[in-house]
Amino acid sequence: MNSLSERSKAEAITVVLVEDDAPTLWRLQDALAKAGYQVRAAGTLAEARACLAQGAPKVLLTDLQLPDGHGVDLIRETRRRYPDTEIMVISILGDEESVISAITVGATGYLLKDAFPTDIAATVRDLVAGHSPISASIARFIVRRTQNTPEPPPGPALNTTKLTPREIDILWGIAKGFSYAEIASHLGLSRQTVPGHIKNIYRKLEVHTRGEAVFEAVQQGLIKL
Amino acid sequence: MNDHGDDAQPDLSGSERRRLQTSRLIQYLLLQAVIAAACVLALLQSLPGPPAQYQLTAFNLTESGIKRAVTLPYFSSLRNAMHDPPRFSGHFVRPAGDAAQAWSVFLPRFTNGVEVTINDVVILDSRRDPAANRPDRNTPAIAVIPASVLRDGDNTIAIRLFIWGPISGFLDRIWVGPDEALRPTYNLRTLVFVTLPVVFSSWQAILAVILGIMWMMRRHEPAYRVLAGAMAVGVGQAFLQTPMGETPFSRLNVILISSAPIESALVLIFALLLSGWKWQRYAWIIFTPGIALALAGLFGNQALVRALFLIVAVPMVGVSLLIMAVVTARSTLQRQNVASFLLGCAVTIMLTCWIVDLLSVFQVLPNRIFVSRLSYSVMLVAIGAGLTWRFARALNQVDGFAGRLVTQVREAEEKLKVSFAREEERARAAALARERTRLMRDLHDGLGGQLVSIVALSERGNGSAGIGDAARAALKDLRLVIDSMDDIGGDLMLALGSWRERAMAQLRPHDIALDWRAVTPQGLPVHPELRPWHVIQIVRLLDEAVTNAVKHAGARRVTVRIETLAGADGLERGCITVEDDGNGFEIAPDGGAAGATKAGRGLRNMRSRAARCGAELELSSCAQGTDRGTDRATARGTHVRLTLPHRFPDSDGAIG
Repeated sequence: MNSLSERSKAEAITVVLVEDDAPTLWRLQDALAKAGYQVRAAGTLAEARACLAQGAPKVLLTDLQLPDGHGVDLIRETRRRYPDTEIMVISILGDEESVISAITVGATGYLLKDAFPTDIAATVRDLVAGHSPISASIARFIVRRTQNTPEPPPGPALNTTKLTPREIDILWGIAKGFSYAEIASHLGLSRQTVPGHIKNIYRKLEVHTRGEAVFEAVQQGLIKL
Repeated sequence: MNDHGDDAQPDLSGSERRRLQTSRLIQYLLLQAVIAAACVLALLQSLPGPPAQYQLTAFNLTESGIKRAVTLPYFSSLRNAMHDPPRFSGHFVRPAGDAAQAWSVFLPRFTNGVEVTINDVVILDSRRDPAANRPDRNTPAIAVIPASVLRDGDNTIAIRLFIWGPISGFLDRIWVGPDEALRPTYNLRTLVFVTLPVVFSSWQAILAVILGIMWMMRRHEPAYRVLAGAMAVGVGQAFLQTPMGETPFSRLNVILISSAPIESALVLIFALLLSGWKWQRYAWIIFTPGIALALAGLFGNQALVRALFLIVAVPMVGVSLLIMAVVTARSTLQRQNVASFLLGCAVTIMLTCWIVDLLSVFQVLPNRIFVSRLSYSVMLVAIGAGLTWRFARALNQVDGFAGRLVTQVREAEEKLKVSFAREEERARAAALARERTRLMRDLHDGLGGQLVSIVALSERGNGSAGIGDAARAALKDLRLVIDSMDDIGGDLMLALGSWRERAMAQLRPHDIALDWRAVTPQGLPVHPELRPWHVIQIVRLLDEAVTNAVKHAGARRVTVRIETLAGADGLERGCITVEDDGNGFEIAPDGGAAGATKAGRGLRNMRSRAARCGAELELSSCAQGTDRGTDRATARGTHVRLTLPHRFPDSDGAIG
């Protein structure tokens, strides 16, 4: 591994890490620090807010279940305050319950808590480079919501009306386990554009304002006018 | 209103329709003309009479004190001659040898009553026969002359003609001769003019009952009520007698003379209702002639009633018939309706008969046989036939409707069944998804977090790597269990997509590459019958293959090939192959791996999992030492080939 260049590149990258389970926090902190990231750790929502008050980090990594609140609120606040900060949710199972609810408030990626240290660093690096990770089960969850079923499947609400057919095709490919290269060749795309599409998908799933939230709730039939 | 509508639409289809209507109208009118002509022809046929040798036509008539010679048939100009009736006297000769034979006097037609005297002995007074007293009936009279009265040779006959209106008196030719020669003609006339009307009156009574029941059951159809009323009035009219004396009872009875206009008014209303007309308040005028006649009967005398009858009731019948002719013609043309058509033909016959009768009353025709009442029976037959036709058609419609209903109910039932099954399936999937979400949340908040902590802690203390691996494996299995509960709609590719991620995460720390090849573009066929437990078995089997490659084979590369194969039976089967380039091992005859008991158990597990899903498992492994060096990639390592069934079993194959 070309650790020197990695380190110099990561030099400026600041990461705010929010995790209430101490062993997991140390583990993630170690993995990121070893990769050369500048990590500010927080164990509670209050500490995290204090960290963020010091200035915009490049990356926010946060757990959702915190002792004094919910990570979703932190993500929403950060997204509004520092639009350039990349936000990732730390999930145990990579499940749609936590990942999708984080995406709808502005997260663009997720990190498995038990990922190997090298994978943790790589995932954060990819995110900073504009490559949002997506799992097959998340892709599956999203494409299922694009199909018209009378009763939406349980889980967090999601508005998929902005997704283009091409983006939905990409999600299908991911859900079925195809690699980016295979998806690109099937759809006649360049392999490099697929991660960008995924980030766009995340952005389109985000609910921006209160008004938009109401609009989308109406769109999804959650509110009847 | 319809005519205006037609004028407002001068388009092609409108003119076409008008042309069609016109041609239909002409056809209908021609047919009615033919019917009327046939009627007239039939009426012109005179009824057969007894032998002409017994006919008497030359009489001396004493009328109002004046005596003169007349020839029968004779129309008297008198309208009321009860106290001083015209008296006809004549002679006839009985041959000497006929004494053994009974002789009779036969009077085929007279108005209103006769008293026959032979040799100054009264042998017949028709006024005691109620049927004969009705001028509208052509009741004949016959009387056997008592043998003691009759003489050989010349005999005298005198006939007093009682006239009480409303029409003038009439006496047809008479016959005096042997009873056996006269009787057949009398019988024929009785049959046609007495018995037949009674039969039709009975028919009318039955119709009244049927229509009454119809009215009771179908209150919203006033046509039946009106017709039932008409029939009831008609029956009353037929069976009640014309009163001769001025008694209180006869006064009430005289009301019944008004039955003819009332009955015709009711039948007219029925025809109007049948053609779609709605009852209007002004329509009560139709009943005024009948009511006027009834009031006259109650408060006036019989003479007044009879005079009124001629000027009120008879025109009323004619006007009703005319209106009905127009209405039924219109209805027939517009609706193409058999009931209206029959009624229309009946009306034509009645109208013809009415005109013929009128001519007879005014003595334009040489005879006085009234056929209006008789022709009314044609109307009754038409009504009966029309009713039966409507009833049969309604039954057919009910049958057709019932048939359609049965079909529709069956179709709806099928649809319901299908949608119920779909709904059940959907509810089941939704329940499973809810349960999965709940389980996921519980595991995420509890067990999952603890396992991650174990992983983190074991990584800090370097000595406990085994615990960390176990915790990681537990997490991986947790993800598998949760993932397999998700509704993947029978597309195993969706489950394999998640498995690929987990396998990559598992292989990456060991620097083993995962080569993923979907050979056929769609991957695997879709299996709607796929259940979560199938998915778990297949994914665990594949996990086992990958774990073997990691733990025992020392492989550098694992290749997963996914394809759909067309079997010999033409059915598509999915096929998943996991290959590694590791050391391989000897496979014992029992299917386990020789030597390595742990790997052996793994292989047995894989076989039993495949068997449960009805899949075929092929295992081949080449130990490194036995490499023959022709093609290293296939000759070396372990090769697991899983051929999926065309249809996954519903129950666990290992149990059954």
